[in-house]
Amino acid sequence: MTELKENNSCCDSSSIGNFLKALNLRIVINPSKCIACGLCEEICPFGLPQKENDGKYNISNPQECVECSACQRNCPTQAIIMQEQQGCGCLWDARKKSKGECLDDSCCC
Amino acid sequence: MAITYMLKLEQQPESYDSKFKTLTQGINIEVHNWILDKIAPDQSILEVGCGTGSLASKMALKGSKVIAIDKNYQMISYAIKNISDKDNIDLLYQIGTIKNLPVPKESQDYIVSTFMLSELGSLEQQIFLRNSWKALKPGGRLLIAAEFIPSGFWKIPFKAKRWFYKKKLRKFNIEKTNPLEHFYNYFNHIGFQITDKIEWSHGSIKALELQKIQKKESSQPGYYKPKKPKIKGISSQLKIWRCLLTGQVDNVSIEPGLYKSGNPDKNSPTIATANYVYTFIKVMRDLDGVDAWVLCVDSNGINVWCAARGNDFGNNQLLEAVEATGLQHFSESKRIILPQLSAGGVSKPNLPEMSEDFPFKITFGPVWSKHLKEYLRTLPKEKSQKMKRAKFTLRHRVRAGITHITFLMRKIFLLPLIALFIIFLGLDIGNLINKIWIISDLLLWILFPNLILIFFYPLSKFTRNFVIKSIFFGIINAILLGVITWFLRRSIIYISLNIAFFIWIGFFTTMSFSGNTMTTNPREIRNEYPLFKKLNYILFSIGLMLTILSVFI
Repeated sequence: MTELKENNSCCDSSSIGNFLKALNLRIVINPSKCIACGLCEEICPFGLPQKENDGKYNISNPQECVECSACQRNCPTQAIIMQEQQGCGCLWDARKKSKGECLDDSCCC
Repeated sequence: MAITYMLKLEQQPESYDSKFKTLTQGINIEVHNWILDKIAPDQSILEVGCGTGSLASKMALKGSKVIAIDKNYQMISYAIKNISDKDNIDLLYQIGTIKNLPVPKESQDYIVSTFMLSELGSLEQQIFLRNSWKALKPGGRLLIAAEFIPSGFWKIPFKAKRWFYKKKLRKFNIEKTNPLEHFYNYFNHIGFQITDKIEWSHGSIKALELQKIQKKESSQPGYYKPKKPKIKGISSQLKIWRCLLTGQVDNVSIEPGLYKSGNPDKNSPTIATANYVYTFIKVMRDLDGVDAWVLCVDSNGINVWCAARGNDFGNNQLLEAVEATGLQHFSESKRIILPQLSAGGVSKPNLPEMSEDFPFKITFGPVWSKHLKEYLRTLPKEKSQKMKRAKFTLRHRVRAGITHITFLMRKIFLLPLIALFIIFLGLDIGNLINKIWIISDLLLWILFPNLILIFFYPLSKFTRNFVIKSIFFGIINAILLGVITWFLRRSIIYISLNIAFFIWIGFFTTMSFSGNTMTTNPREIRNEYPLFKKLNYILFSIGLMLTILSVFI
């Protein structure tokens, strides 16, 4: 989490959340910052970042993003705007979080 | 002994001393006395993990020059408040960690640490030993007390107790401590010899006196390399199965550290991986015939993806692994190849690449270890599509299905099934065969939806919503299980009474399977949870009532 904050030293995490909410998106690449290095496309396990005609990258299916933050935390120019969701999507983790039993950020199945 | 509870006590410094004394049944005081007897007056002493300063002040009163550090701010401020002005003592409290001891090289006669080592992971313990070695004068001594895993018979009751406390701790959300298991292997390699020791509670608490030994002309401590576990043969296969059967619940770890695949030299590549037994064995098997260094980071016995999505595989773990293993002294390739899925935890821009502490660059290798050989052979060519995408193939679904079945049995179904069978024994519903038949029916009902998920999961690609997926598979389950039940029972009434239960168990199983696919977004599941809870309650109540009815008709 501290790394996440360092990465976005310009803006606190709630403003990123509000920004994405307003756009109704989970993840977006800032085209003015993207230097077309292709690292995000290489490390996204689902291949969501795709090369556009101008050579820069864009998230093709943002609704399929699992918000693992791999691209965001490794982007050399901090061009990717998203908020990491920790945990692995386990129902039992969701249950514990809803009961407030699990204060930890990581998954507690 | 429940030093496990220690981390809870540390949240309240005022009551720490008295509660910790109760917890250790007074052994901590005996430990203090043993240490005080060892120390001659007029020595320079560094205490690491001083807590409330109860031992540090006693040592200072004996006339030594004491620097005491703790990473916990509350503890240190409490300790400083407690220094009384009357005593003319040389005692300095400071915030500090094992990674950065605040004393010059070869400056201390003694380094003392009580009940701190079990809060550290095994790589951190090695870093502590190495840093202590550097800070001690030639021939200086390290006095440590810690919770150990006893050897021989007493290991069994010890492990049983730990298991009991672990369950309790989960409720309180407290990190568990790690009693020292491999510690005896470390200190010889790093450069200490044991000169005295004392044991309490059948060896579950030990205090050791270690003396710094210096080989000629060497001004650096050594490094410890763990023994490589077997990666072929029955024992390793049993470990693989163990992980498959307990995957979602147990963290099964191997010692983190630097391992060899084949006979690597200075130019061989370095592959990093997690210290989950399953992951390690798979990586080593897939590297068969390749000479490489394998850097196993301390991910708490969790696989790469889940560790990176929590806080268990990130920059901290990587830096710690490099520091503890001294990788740069063995490999000159200046490159660490990380599993691609660790990118959710490791942040390349925030790593001090090519610095003194981390003289490496990192590269994200393939997602699956089975592509490692091909990846290494085709370097520096870019990864192919199959190397960088996480597909949820039938093979993965079979493994996930097995893990999920055992998970459901262990967490939910096993005890009710046994209880039900015992109740059936007392009920008048046909003979024993009949009763076993009913229980086997229930077992089939639990297994079957998992089989559907293994073979037909891709059919639900039309939606990302897990509640819709679950209803979809609930209906498929009801149809298929209904057909099977027709062949087993030939009774339309029996089937129609159980249809609701079939729908429920299909629904429930699919929902519970969510954590097993990599494409699930944790936020979506958390948002869907309230709706799931309602539907689950309704479907289960109706299903259960009708099913009970069907047993008696």
